[in-house]
Amino acid sequence: MIRAYGLTKRYGEKTVVQDLTFTVRPGTVTGFLGPNGAGKSTTMRMLLGLDAPTSGRATIGDRCYAAHPAPLCAAGALLEARSIHPGRSARGHLLALAHTHGIPRRQVTAVIERVGLGEAADRRVKGFSLGMGQRLGIAAALLADPATVILDEPVNGLDPEGVRWIRNLLKSLAAEGRTVFVSSHLMSEMALTAEHLVIIGRGRLLADTTVERFVRDAGLGVIKVVTPEAGRLRELLAGPGVDIAGDGPDTLRIGGSDGERIGRTAAAHSIPVFELTPHSASLEEAFMDLTRDAVEYPAHSEAPATAHGAAA
Amino acid sequence: MTGRPGDAPSRPQEQCPAAGPASAQAMASDAYAPTAPPRTPGATSTPAGAEQRNDGYGVTWPRVLHSEWAKLWSLRSTWISLIATCVVTVVLGMAVAGTYESGSADSDVGPVELTLLGTQFGQIMIAVLGVLVTAGEYATGMIRATFAAVPRRLPVLWAKATVFGAVAFAVMLVTVFLTFPLAQGFLSGTDMEAGLGDPGVVRALCGAAAGIALSGVLCLGFGALLRGVPAAIGAYIGAVLVLPEVAGLLPYGAVDDITAYLPSKATYALMATHHGPDLLAPGPALLAMGCWVAVTLAAAALLIKRRDV
Repeated sequence: MIRAYGLTKRYGEKTVVQDLTFTVRPGTVTGFLGPNGAGKSTTMRMLLGLDAPTSGRATIGDRCYAAHPAPLCAAGALLEARSIHPGRSARGHLLALAHTHGIPRRQVTAVIERVGLGEAADRRVKGFSLGMGQRLGIAAALLADPATVILDEPVNGLDPEGVRWIRNLLKSLAAEGRTVFVSSHLMSEMALTAEHLVIIGRGRLLADTTVERFVRDAGLGVIKVVTPEAGRLRELLAGPGVDIAGDGPDTLRIGGSDGERIGRTAAAHSIPVFELTPHSASLEEAFMDLTRDAVEYPAHSEAPATAHGAAA
Repeated sequence: MTGRPGDAPSRPQEQCPAAGPASAQAMASDAYAPTAPPRTPGATSTPAGAEQRNDGYGVTWPRVLHSEWAKLWSLRSTWISLIATCVVTVVLGMAVAGTYESGSADSDVGPVELTLLGTQFGQIMIAVLGVLVTAGEYATGMIRATFAAVPRRLPVLWAKATVFGAVAFAVMLVTVFLTFPLAQGFLSGTDMEAGLGDPGVVRALCGAAAGIALSGVLCLGFGALLRGVPAAIGAYIGAVLVLPEVAGLLPYGAVDDITAYLPSKATYALMATHHGPDLLAPGPALLAMGCWVAVTLAAAALLIKRRDV
């Protein structure tokens, strides 16, 4: 369980994180989303006591991280920037951390095997690829079998196989009853793994919700249906919670229903259907809508081009 | 604030900054149960049980020492620096002794200082290694992993200083007790002939090891203060190597008195058998070195506690 109460971090004039209050519960994967520069990494460092909040506080388990007698058991973390001495071997790095808590050597070996670094364990980290470095960071996070796992952009630099491995790992960690808090700037990635979402932009909390609710509130899950008998199908499908909008004479946009129900209804009444398309690709768009005003360095690609066109 | 290393793990609740009523309540009820049952895999939601497992793991002072010991020896640079220090000191000592002719040394140079000429280089290697022990962690980002494992932070600094100080002292002790007899083999019959039984020789050899180890710990403190390898080495060159030379050129008597207390002069005083008027006696020299180290480490501790990593 992670709790943040009014977490605020200022560097001089610049407020990086402002009054963040949220709770991360055990047993599920919670995604921590926001554009680059939104303050995700700073927040995570504050959770771990690496950065001191300007105001507010955070607890992991029942107390702030630094107050745990065995901090690595309370929370294991993969931080955004590499925090590994490149001159040490993977095993040497993990052993050094393990010694601080009295964690036995076999646990280090077990965690090396778990992240798939078995063959590279005694090589110096200097020669590791980005993905291997990421796996070592995750091994360090899991070292003490922690109740809470905090991972900052874990899929960065991983190949597709590695990305899938992370997804499964996160889900299994949550299924074991752990609190799993994972940051990402990719909504699509989080939609596949997380159940809960904490979304921030420019250091402020934008949403604290479930993936399901986020999808519903964003008006996603809309199904586009093309049929010559649009009016009739509309009447048949109408009901509480179902939201139907016309889009041209033959086209309906139906929210709050599902493809199976629409298809069966149409079939039962012999209504021909030319197209039945779930419109789900825009999860990323909904996230971008939400964070549009909060992007630190937005890219202006279209607007200036049009302006130039008009001027010419 | 964790003042001494020994009390680090014993009072887990005291450091929670601005602990509000909610956490105070939680702390009252949790009782730090070391007997909390291990989490059963597959259990879905057991927040209280899951958060308080212990398995006997926990940060203690001996464990932090063990970790720093392992960190030191798992880097190649440690082995290279220490072996090089030893070899250079022994070889230079023998070279100097082998080419020595009676009467060619300055009047204030004794047999120990002469044979330990190589420690001039050894001292620099130990200093650089001291810098790497702390600043190297900042440079590579390792410090974040270190402070995540030991969030009280200060035990790490004390452990680094203890482990590195002890290792540097042991290595230098072996080195000087190897160098002196080997070099003396060339000096029989000259005015620099001396044996381990001669007055002040063993003390000067031990003093040499202690002085060099302490200046290494001083540099470890510079590294922790300045958090960068180049900056800390710069501080060593400026404050330890150059400052006394510059100060020595100033035409004020008071400056000379102060110069004697500077780290490089105090280190030299520790290994000297002939104490001229501008050198401290061994006791005050050791005290001076101790003070420099204590002040630097205290300043580093203060900043480590306050700074973000």
